[in-house]
Amino acid sequence: MKPSPPYRALKFLRWFCREDFIEEVEGDLIEVFEYQYKQSPKKAKSKLIWTVIRYFRPEFIKAFNLSPNSTTMYQHNFKLAYRNFFKYKSTFFINLIGLSTGLACALLISLWIADEQNVDKFHEKDARLYQVMHNIDLGNEIRTLEWTPGPLIEALDQQMPEVENVAAVFPPSVHTFKGALAHDDIRMKASSKYVSSDYFSIFSHPILAGDKDQLLKEKYAVVISDQLALKLFGSTDNVVGKLLKWEVEGFSGDYFVSGIFESMPSNASIQFDLAFNYDLYASKNPELNRWSYNDPCTYLTLKEGSDVKAFENKIAGLIKKNDPESKGTLFLRKYSSQYLYGNFENGLEAGGRISYVILFSVIAIFLLLIACINFMNLSTARASRRIKEIGVKKSIGAKRSDLVIQHLMESVIMSFLALFLAMLMVTLILPEFNVLTGKQLLFVFSSEFIFTVLGITLITGLLAGSYPALYLSGITPISIFRGSSINSLSSLWIRKGLVIFQFAVSLVLIVMVFTVSKQMDYIQTKNLGYDKENVLIFNETINNDASYTSFKHQLKTVPGVLSISSISGDMTTGDRNNTTGIMWEGRSEDNLVDFSDLVVDFNFFETMNIELLEGRAFSEEFNSEKNKIIFNETAINQMGLVNPIGQTVRLWGKEKQIIGVVKDFHVESLYKTVKPSFFRLSERGMNTLVRIEQGKERETIEALQDIYKEKNQGLALDYQFIDDAYDKLYASESRVSILSGYFAGIAILISCLGLFGLAAFTAEIRLKEIGIRKVLGSGNTQIVLLLSNEYTKMVLIANLLALPIGYYLVNNWLGSFAFSIELKWWSFVGAGILSLMISWLTVGIQTVKAAMINPVDCLKDE
Amino acid sequence: MKAPSLGEFEELVLLMVAAQHDEAYGVSILESLEKQLDKKVNVSAIHVALKRMVEKGFITSRFGGITTDRGGRRKKFYVITAFGKQALDQQYSIRTDLYQQIPEISFN
Repeated sequence: MKPSPPYRALKFLRWFCREDFIEEVEGDLIEVFEYQYKQSPKKAKSKLIWTVIRYFRPEFIKAFNLSPNSTTMYQHNFKLAYRNFFKYKSTFFINLIGLSTGLACALLISLWIADEQNVDKFHEKDARLYQVMHNIDLGNEIRTLEWTPGPLIEALDQQMPEVENVAAVFPPSVHTFKGALAHDDIRMKASSKYVSSDYFSIFSHPILAGDKDQLLKEKYAVVISDQLALKLFGSTDNVVGKLLKWEVEGFSGDYFVSGIFESMPSNASIQFDLAFNYDLYASKNPELNRWSYNDPCTYLTLKEGSDVKAFENKIAGLIKKNDPESKGTLFLRKYSSQYLYGNFENGLEAGGRISYVILFSVIAIFLLLIACINFMNLSTARASRRIKEIGVKKSIGAKRSDLVIQHLMESVIMSFLALFLAMLMVTLILPEFNVLTGKQLLFVFSSEFIFTVLGITLITGLLAGSYPALYLSGITPISIFRGSSINSLSSLWIRKGLVIFQFAVSLVLIVMVFTVSKQMDYIQTKNLGYDKENVLIFNETINNDASYTSFKHQLKTVPGVLSISSISGDMTTGDRNNTTGIMWEGRSEDNLVDFSDLVVDFNFFETMNIELLEGRAFSEEFNSEKNKIIFNETAINQMGLVNPIGQTVRLWGKEKQIIGVVKDFHVESLYKTVKPSFFRLSERGMNTLVRIEQGKERETIEALQDIYKEKNQGLALDYQFIDDAYDKLYASESRVSILSGYFAGIAILISCLGLFGLAAFTAEIRLKEIGIRKVLGSGNTQIVLLLSNEYTKMVLIANLLALPIGYYLVNNWLGSFAFSIELKWWSFVGAGILSLMISWLTVGIQTVKAAMINPVDCLKDE
Repeated sequence: MKAPSLGEFEELVLLMVAAQHDEAYGVSILESLEKQLDKKVNVSAIHVALKRMVEKGFITSRFGGITTDRGGRRKKFYVITAFGKQALDQQYSIRTDLYQQIPEISFN
């Protein structure tokens, strides 16, 4: 039995080797193999394989052009594409501009989406990193909170074997404590959080200095970011162990730097510069030992391979087990999904920023589709020009697949040309786009990005070419040469349908832009129940109440300052404490009203221009104002109190007398209704409010800055106008408003380009008809009407389709606001008329030109 | 026309083809070369040299008869052409010529 040489190697050899060499080569190989096989079978095999590989060289490789025609065909296709582009320049440019704008938008949007999806994904343990969330059943709704009971981390750490690390963080979510930081003579503001010792094992913030396991072992240790270290010490070397002075209410003192972490990247949703020891915070808040007291956020990493669902079930009832009175349940949320899926409705995840990601993806797809449709329409409409070429090719023997490939190639070439232009556009627009979206997007040529771009371009090319390729290749040569009409009814309908689709998409976008910008106007001009103009808000670092009072008095002396007050929390974000701890006469057992707790200073209602409905505001003329309470309208209604003034309620067990009722005002975003709130007095809130006389802003602020600096040991005044803060709340909405405006404009532009090309072409092929009509006595206007009639019909149909869809979409969007504009019929009619006008304008030039023609010119035939 | 060049390895193969007149084929050349040079040679290298020399016109080839050996593949025998012989002669004379020009050098 002869040894058999490795079959695969020989098969490979036979595949590539020249036919006239193969017999000799294979024979020699086998002979050598058989000879070597006697010495070592294994070696012989590997030697043969190696030798085969060595034959893989130009001398031995056969010519693979099975049919030498195919390369020539491709060359020919290229040449034809090139000639066609040059011959029909207007079509070429319409297609190029359309496709490249579409692609540029798609590229920008995909850059943006990639960036959005990357937020918070950089943590090494991202797959196992969760936040413990807290659902509270309020009877009529379930509210989802980020803050969790204080004893929770200890329970998770000790009782749950699945938990790898768990950390408590305070204050919750994106909030930070702002305080003043001092070292030598440098004083600055910085934002801080209290984190428990496992924090840096859970989140991947590289530790640049200090012992990673010992960072927050000491109560007065602080870990700072490298940027802060650079600002304070000028370097990150030898900083560990240095002392810092930190001033924030209740926690002022000296802290030593135990480590430096690398500043959080811009795609981290939570940013802070200082990490203090959570144990220190806990030691000053004994309430944190109670299960009924919710304060910190809890983050954890699960051990690899843990069953998340099972773990969730395990912790769900943890609060009730420890505090039978509680109505809360716990669940997990993946940490990195908090950015895109931040909203909760009735205890269930309800989207969030993801809706904008989806919205813009859809817009990108539609823009590309519109551009593709231009290509389809123009190439099928111009079929008559290429019909002879196709006929000749077919009669010589071109297969349908060859023609399909030819036309697909043409469109793919087109789309790659467009890609080139689109890249250019994106590079130019990117800085502007970054300003608009508030991001730092960059063109990074990662393999992922290149694949996406090439993929998008290829798909666009194939899509754009698909219909023309199938349509043109399907025409029979007989009908071509016989001269029968090649524009069959069905193709005409498809073309019309595509134009209708284009216009419908543009119309939906127009309706969207109309509504979004109206709603934005509404938001910006809505009467919030207080006067947000000319009010400054800032916090201070004065360490005792007496000097705060003198600070206030000093501020009051500044000319231009109208009044001063303070508030816990701020005026715009609705971020404040809530409590159900109010008892009043006649309260039924299950009437759990969740009140907002606002702590305000004297003059608050005057400063903010909030209207009092009944009673009076807090006043310095009365004593024991701290035992008084003011409610808003909603609160009184929900409590069901009649003649509330003078009645007493019990807040956390203490009696308070109602002295006033104020008209509802918005301290929360307009997505929400006004919450029942009460106001209690404290002469010092977290944030100071100053109303400034209009027209004197500049000098007043300068004076305020001086006083502030003096009273805050050289710290610069970091203030915000409330109306600016308010506008910031709706930054993403106003971004959508601006961006959708641009995209709608581009959609219309591309659609109109297509329509323009189509109109020019129809006018051209109907030239003889127009000539005859004119000879027979038709007037210019009649001809213009005749030609634009067709387009008017298409746009009207598009209207019929698009307006209901648009209505549905914007209605849905407005529905998410508790306060929104009413949809008016005329804004839809307006959008319709606008689209009609635009289409007439586009078609108009062509039709008028066609109508003005002298019949002699188009009827004479040489 | 410039005369085609003859590389070192090609020259060795050509000498072998000439030496085994009419009986030279890939494996026989391989075996004798390995014996002469006392080193391993890959058969693909010999094939490459042979093909190149066929192209240059130094050798011609013919197929042998079918045998049961070699998986039924015919051998391809190579024969040196007059042109090939001339190239060898030329190479040889250049070498000897040069060799004789070496002066008597003593290496001690």
